Amino acid sequence: MHEFSIASGLVEKLLDFAEKNPDKKIVEIRVAIGEFTQIEEEQLSFCYESIITEMPIAGSRLTIEPILGQVACPHCSYSGLPKYWEGALSGPPVATLECPACGKAAGIIAGEDCSIKSIRYVQRENASVDR
Amino acid sequence: MANEGAVQVMLEASPDEIYDIELEHSLLEANAKLAVENRALLDKNGITAIDFMGAIGSGKTTLITKLVERLKDKFGVAVFNGDATTSNDADAIAKQNVPVVQIATINGCHLDANLVGKGLKRIELENLKMIFIENIGNLICPAEFPLGSKARVVVVSVTEGPWMVRKHPHMFLGSQVVVINKIDLAEAMEVSVDQLIADVHSLKPDIKVIPTSCKRGTGLDEVVDALLAI
Ligand SMILES: Nc1nc2c(ncn2[C@@H]2O[C@H](COP(=O)(O)OP(=O)(O)O)[C@@H](O)[C@H]2O)c(=O)[nH]1
Ligand SMILES: [Mg+2]
Ligand SMILES: [Zn+2]
Repeated sequence: MHEFSIASGLVEKLLDFAEKNPDKKIVEIRVAIGEFTQIEEEQLSFCYESIITEMPIAGSRLTIEPILGQVACPHCSYSGLPKYWEGALSGPPVATLECPACGKAAGIIAGEDCSIKSIRYVQRENASVDR
Repeated sequence: MANEGAVQVMLEASPDEIYDIELEHSLLEANAKLAVENRALLDKNGITAIDFMGAIGSGKTTLITKLVERLKDKFGVAVFNGDATTSNDADAIAKQNVPVVQIATINGCHLDANLVGKGLKRIELENLKMIFIENIGNLICPAEFPLGSKARVVVVSVTEGPWMVRKHPHMFLGSQVVVINKIDLAEAMEVSVDQLIADVHSLKPDIKVIPTSCKRGTGLDEVVDALLAI
């Protein structure tokens, strides 16, 4: 399950932040997932929650923002949303690399990354009491 | 628990006490960077690495063994095996007398660039021209973890049924070659190879699809040609 590796990387980054900022308590973390990464939101949330239970960031909430894929075609210079394939049985229609305009092979220009967008925290009144 | 108390306080905090830090930190970048390093090392040594993905039992090990058989007298070939489901896998390839590196993954999910990088340090790169990397038999962990290979091959087999591409469409987008293996069993399985090819092409029109039977030797020359053209 690749979501586990991704969640581990995320938690590592947050623990690093928490350690460097003992006066801040992380309450929410926003992550953007590109459509072409094939990372599943639910699985990622599940992994995140299972990993953090015993950690200083326990109780923080993961909010996921899906990022639509975009493609560009070298054959007809189309650029924009991908064509979706209805044939998939695995779930909703799948973004493909078939150019929506001319049907030839397009390349990905957006939606290939998975990144932390922001960390929401509350300032602790008294860091020593909270910890 | 002290921790639970702390969380309670948080939720009741008034909105003006909540702050956001904007940042842009890619969670895929660390692996991607290592993949680029692997690739640079391979390029420097004039080596083409090819990564094979696909379900357990689709024929990855068999195909790699056949490819090694055909190529090892022409130039130096090595195999990285991340999918040692049985020791038969390694044994079959080891019989070919080429360097074989076993890579054990921690979570049994996928190979990553770090593991492949470690493998590259363990073999003599000088006289090699090709490295075949057998990824873990897994259909759901694909493109996010590039290894540094020049091309990715997906091996599917007709024994996975007629809907295999439709059930696992994601695997194909990041690959350059698809091998549809075990076509000697297509009739018995009542699977249309043409339909599988059409399905793959709806996802990625320019992907090379080669039907094979490793058992009978069908299509293997075409696979060799496709890999040499990469
Ligand atoms: N009938 C048939 N069997 C095959 C073919 N290719 C591989 N096999 C068999 O399929 C089984 C699994 O193959 P293996 O290479 O170990 O699959 P892997 O798990 O993907 O590495 C073995 O028993 C092979 O002998 C083929 O083209 N036709
Ligand atoms: Mg194998
Ligand atoms: Zn086009």
